[in-house]
Order: sequence, then structure tokens, then C-alpha cells
Amino acid sequence: MIMIELYLTSGLMMMLGVYCVAMKPNLIKKIIGLAIFTDAIHLLLITIGSRENGIPPIITPENVNTFSQFSVDPVPQALVLTSIVISLSITALALCIAIIAYRHFKTLDTEKMSDLRG
Amino acid sequence: MITIVLSVLFLAAFLVLVLKRDIIAISAIIFSFIFFLLAYFSPDIMMFAFSGWSPPFGIVWVLDKLGLFMAIMITGIMSLTAVYSVKYVKERKHRYYTLICLLTIGLIGISLTGDIFNMYVFFELMSVASYALVAFLLNKESTEAALKYLITGSLSSSFLLVGIAMLYGLTGTLNMADMALKISGGPVFMIVLGLILGGLSLKSAIVPFHFWLPDVHPAAPSPVSALLSSVIIGSGVYMTIRIIFTVFGIMSIFWMLIILGLITMVVGGLMAIMQKDVKRLLAYSTVSQVGYIFIAIGMGTPAGVTAGLFHLFNNILLKCLLFLSFGIILWHTGTRDLNKLGGLGKRMPWVAFCFGIGALGTAGIPPLNGFASKWLIYLATWEVSPIITSIAIIVSAITLAYYLKVFSCIFMGPSTFKIVKKTPKTMLIPIIILAIICIIIGILPQIGMMFVEPATNVLLEQGQYINAVLGVG
Repeated sequence: MIMIELYLTSGLMMMLGVYCVAMKPNLIKKIIGLAIFTDAIHLLLITIGSRENGIPPIITPENVNTFSQFSVDPVPQALVLTSIVISLSITALALCIAIIAYRHFKTLDTEKMSDLRG
Repeated sequence: MITIVLSVLFLAAFLVLVLKRDIIAISAIIFSFIFFLLAYFSPDIMMFAFSGWSPPFGIVWVLDKLGLFMAIMITGIMSLTAVYSVKYVKERKHRYYTLICLLTIGLIGISLTGDIFNMYVFFELMSVASYALVAFLLNKESTEAALKYLITGSLSSSFLLVGIAMLYGLTGTLNMADMALKISGGPVFMIVLGLILGGLSLKSAIVPFHFWLPDVHPAAPSPVSALLSSVIIGSGVYMTIRIIFTVFGIMSIFWMLIILGLITMVVGGLMAIMQKDVKRLLAYSTVSQVGYIFIAIGMGTPAGVTAGLFHLFNNILLKCLLFLSFGIILWHTGTRDLNKLGGLGKRMPWVAFCFGIGALGTAGIPPLNGFASKWLIYLATWEVSPIITSIAIIVSAITLAYYLKVFSCIFMGPSTFKIVKKTPKTMLIPIIILAIICIIIGILPQIGMMFVEPATNVLLEQGQYINAVLGVG
């Protein structure tokens, strides 16, 4: 039952992230929206790999025989770790460019800084 | 073996920043070009499993003809652009070369990997390097364009990640060959394919998602515009066709691609006529050419796929040629406005010649390479629906119209500029090489087909790819 809630949460977070990127004019809020969206995908990945009452995917001498029945899938966890690093670098780059944009335009409002149209 | 290329490029990316010698980056990229050229002529599909894990579990790189074809194109264009940039980029040159090395690694990774998450990682590496390159000049215009590109680009690649996550949940594997075996044609898979195509269509500039391209091109330095319009768009198209044909195994007519391609082609062509800024015009022309590629790929027939890949190949060469030649004009005059430029034909005959070759080639005039691939597209579309062919021919005429306008505006008429500096050899030689390649492929299209036909076979024979990767009979 908890699985469905997790899927729903990640779906709602995705919508929130896309809404934030699309509708908020403030640049920092857009970047936060991107981070929320990426984290929602991480939650989705973890939920895909998990199971009810799962144990961590580490083999110990006690659980060798029952390991495959109870363990969660370790692959999504590795994927999430990789994805976190990527999302970190993109957020850092986005904030860097936002700082430079603020120096040029003296504002973070994207509607006021548009010279480019089309 | 492939690790040598990767470590040389990573090392060069680091060393060029520390030792401040551009020659390190340039020679590393040229080395990788020679490596892939040699690897292309070995007989069968080569495999490389990282850390020795066997295919369905570990990450594999598959050096098949299609991937190597893309890798040769990418490293070739990259080496020419890297040579060109020696004199073009003035400040913070070593950081520029670091980013160029990282971009090359990302593009090579996309074209050769056989693991879908690995593809996503290299896609992001490529994206981050290209965002930074677009913002490289750090002025008002480039900052704004980079922000626009970054926010939309990372949103779209997040959609790609959602697609990949769902695909993993449905099939339980990340290896593309193994995934192809486990995919059935259920409606869930169509949703996943839609998410993945939606994510990729921003990078390959299909029409509802083309808006970043005309903003980003004028803001970036000219060699970077050349790369964006040729290899980065090319890798977006490559990922789309790889996922459609190799992973999902769709061989029939793919109407969605054809309709999107038609809209892209017409909108790109019409928008290009109205532009006053040369780089924006070239960017819209790229959008229009991507439309041609997607129409041809969407046919799904051997003739259509061959034509699409051949047009992709020609478009990469021609767009790189056009942007690099215009880069020289921009370097001399400092303006991109069509109304201000004029009369440069006598001052720069070589640049005028190369730009003319690029313009006529893109418009599809007979003795040049653009004609060969457009002719194949006409033949392939005629079998399915003559209406598509006629629209393609009309758009081709529009293309010729705006290129003639650009050419006469820049090179004909009274001259208003005083050219004081001499064009450096490092900028002139790459565009002359590209122009000569375009003419040779135009006169002898067999040379181009020699690379394109094996690549088409890889796409159409999905079973052979699966057998080669998984090693089951």
C-alpha cells in the first residue's frame, strides 16, 4: 500500500517541479523547480527498485539463502547516486550563470530580462 | 582499447587547463579521430565491456558501424573546429579547450554506448559542456541565451530520465540489446517512447521545441554555433533513431515523426526568410534541415533510412562549413546584421567560395552533396505519398531563396568595411577542407554511401545487433 503512495508522491512532485519551472518568473525559483523535478525522478527510481519490507541489498552470512526473496534492487540506487551528481553539477552551473545574469540585468525576474524573443 | 581514447581525452581536458597549451587538446581530439577511422575498417562489431562484466549486467560499449560512423563525424568536425578556434577565441582560451574536450567525450559516449543509462550520463556531460560553451563570452546576450538553453534543456533531459526509469521498471534491464528482447508493443511502452522522444526532441530541435536554437546561436562564439548546429543536433537525432529502431524495433512508417518533420521543415524554412540576423537565419535553416531528416527516417523503409542518415551526414558537414565561414566574416566585421554587411566578396574570395558551397549545398543544387541526399529523400517519400515530396521540393526552393539573399547581401554590392587584418591560416584551412569534402561527396556520392549503407544495415537488422551484444544464437 505504501508503494502506491510513493508513486503518487513522486508524480505530484513532478507536477510541482514543472509548474514551478514554467510559471514562476523568478530565476532562482525556476532552478529550485528543476531540483524538485529531478528529486521526484529519484524518488520514482527508488520506488521502482524497492519492495514491501525489503532489506538492504547487502549479502551477510545470515541471509545468504533468503537474500533474493527480501532484498531490494540495488541498481536504481546506483543510478540515483549518479543522477544526484549530475543534478548537482547542473544546479551549480545554473546558479553561476544566474549570478552573472544578475550582474548584467540587476534583476532575477526573467520577464524583465528578455531581449531575445522568438 | 577504447579506454585509451577516453583517458587521453580526459587527461587532455585536465592538462590543457594546467599547462596552458592548446596543442594538447587539439592533438588529443585528432588522435581520437584517427583511432575511430582505424577502428571503422575492422570487419565485425567490436564490443568493450567495462571492468569485465558480461553484457546484460555491466556497461558495454558497442563499436558497430552506425556508432563508429557518428564517432568519426564527431571527432572529425571537432578537430577542424578546435584548429579553427586557435585564433578565434581570444580570452580564457584554455578553459574553452577543456570544455571542448569534455564535449567530445560526451558526444563519443552517446554514439558508442550500448547501455541506456550510460547514454543519459554522457548526454548530460555533453549538455553541461554545451551550456557552459554557450555562456562562454559572459556578456548580456550570451548569459540570457545560456539560461534559456539551460533551463529548458535540463527540464527536457529530466523527461528523458523519467522515460529511462520507467523503461527500467518495465523490463528490469538497462542494456539496450537485452531491453529490445523484453519490449512488447503494449500501450505502456508507447507512453515511455513518448516521454523519451519528448525529452530528445528539444536537443534535436523539432518544431515545438526549436525556440532555443535561434536564440542560442547568435550568442555563442562562432565555432560553438557550428558545433551546436552540426554535431549536437546530430547526436540528438542519432539518439532518437537509435532508441526507435534498435531498442523499440519499430520498422513500419512512423507517422508521428513524419508529421513533426513536415511541420519542422515548413516552419523552419518560413521563419528563416524573415530573419535579419545571419546566425538566426542559419539556425532556422538547421531547423528546416532536421525536418527533412525526420521525414526520411519516419518512412522506416531501407531507402528512407539511408536517405535520412545521408542527409544527417551532409547536414553536419554543411552547417559546420556555413557557421565557420560566417565566423570569419564576424571576426573581421563584428556585425551579424544583413543590412549592414555587403561587398565582402572581393576582399575575401576564399570565404565567399566556401560560404557559397555551403549555401548551395544546403539548398540542394546538383553538383553538391546536399543534392544527393535530398534526391534520395524525394525518391523515398514518393513511394509513400507524393504530397510529402512536393512539400519537400517547395521548401527546398524556399531554402535556395533565402540563401541567395544572404549570399548577395554579404558578398555583393558596395563595400562599406575596411578589412585591416589578414585572415589567419588556421581559420581558412578548416573551411577549405570542409568545402572540398562537400564537393567530392557531391560529385561521387558513392564515397558517402560507403559509410552510410553499413550504418543503415545496423539500424534495420535489429536481431544482428542483439546477437552481437548478447552473444546468443
